Amino acid sequence: MMSIGSMALAPLGLGPVGPAMHIPDGYMSVPVAIAGWVVTVGVVAYAARRAEREISDRAVPLMGVMAAFIFATQMMNFPVAGGTSGHLLGGALAAILLGPWAAVIVMAAVVGLQALMFQDGGLVVMGLNIANMGILTIFAGYFVYRFLAGVIPGRVGALAASFVAAWASVVIGSAVVAVELALSGASPLGVALPAMIGVHALIGVGEGLITLAAVSFIRATNPGLVPTPGLAPAGLNGAAR
Amino acid sequence: MSVASVLGDRYAERDSAVHRADARVKLPAALLYILAIACVPEGAWTALALLAAPIAVVAAAARLGPLFILRRTFLALPFVAVAVPLIFTRPGTVAFEVPVLGWHGTHEGLTAVATILARSWLSVTVAVLLTASTPIVETLRALRVLGTPRLLVGTVFFTYRYFDVIGSEAVRMIRARDSRSAALPGRHAGGRVWWRATVVGHMVGSLFARSLDRSERVYAAMQARGFTGELRFLSTPAVRGVEVAVAAAFVLAGFAVVLGDRLA
Repeated sequence: MMSIGSMALAPLGLGPVGPAMHIPDGYMSVPVAIAGWVVTVGVVAYAARRAEREISDRAVPLMGVMAAFIFATQMMNFPVAGGTSGHLLGGALAAILLGPWAAVIVMAAVVGLQALMFQDGGLVVMGLNIANMGILTIFAGYFVYRFLAGVIPGRVGALAASFVAAWASVVIGSAVVAVELALSGASPLGVALPAMIGVHALIGVGEGLITLAAVSFIRATNPGLVPTPGLAPAGLNGAAR
Repeated sequence: MSVASVLGDRYAERDSAVHRADARVKLPAALLYILAIACVPEGAWTALALLAAPIAVVAAAARLGPLFILRRTFLALPFVAVAVPLIFTRPGTVAFEVPVLGWHGTHEGLTAVATILARSWLSVTVAVLLTASTPIVETLRALRVLGTPRLLVGTVFFTYRYFDVIGSEAVRMIRARDSRSAALPGRHAGGRVWWRATVVGHMVGSLFARSLDRSERVYAAMQARGFTGELRFLSTPAVRGVEVAVAAAFVLAGFAVVLGDRLA
């Protein structure tokens, strides 16, 4: 997950190539891979039905362009230190801006296209990769955001909530990948879990700062777009624009 | 530096039977073959070697050239870093000792990591062959035929189509930022990390608003052309029986190797 799109974008000289959360084929045991497909097929089918009902035929161009947006934001890196750079992964941001169900479709499209076109993530484990990056991180980010934005009211609450939600989504996602690798016997839990959580606790700070700044910017320039809980902000249905 | 040049060149046009084969046959065959590879237990070198043979035949038939395939498959290999600790944590007979740290690598651990690397590399090779021999539009048509929700396939189509547009927008914003961010050699420039992250966050927010506007214009244009929510393909030719037979033989060979290894 550290490099959604980084392989795709590396030839542009824009993306960092680092250890990825996109699991390739060959690592996961067959039962774990199939469990990932079961979760993904169920949740994506439900999300697709809800999105079709609630945003009708507008859904395809809206979510396609939004997936292209998430893809493109991953190009926007910034130098951190020592030649490394941080960039957005986008799961929590998509959940905050689009609502969880539309965000699931958007991230499934991004993760699926990365596997099909760039071999960034395997094919048999694609279900698992979508479950990790397209479902788990979105719902983790969404519920943390909803909870914190409810507890702390106003602008400060929304911004603090978007920072914590983005940070938590990255850390939780990385922890689950470590557990899945250990279940498949592809990585020792005692080493992988602290390593993954440690690295992603740092990466998550960048994710949190970018998400916070993006939500803050959109609140200031396009109030009404952020973030009515539910499938889509009012603006997406033409009400606010 | 066009974004399209990155997205567009994944399909490598050649005149070969593999390229001509229907994606509705190639995609399931590739998936099932990778599933067969995933079933190979640790240390089953004969099975892995036998599984490589049909892949080599398809690779030769696709006329892509070994260097082309090798270059693309290497992109997926750095992930092996997550498996490397197994060399030291898997209990077994000691194979070597790291001098200063005093860690013991075991034969069992080396076998596990080598197997994972081999399975991963064979799987990626199959995926590279599929991607390089199949235009993305055909792959998506196959996904739709295989029962992927219409909305998701449509979304992936639009992601593919509009990544170039939104990506170019992003490239222009990055270029504008870099133009404003002059720095003397060896001098620190551009504020602290949190400040830089905020700048990127504002760019992301701005790109979101532009993307939303774009999606509404796209939708209006689609409606003007009579879009009703259904994706249409120009023609859907029948799947050829020969291709199904060859693909079935490919997949069955894979599972026969796995079964043979289990029984032996």
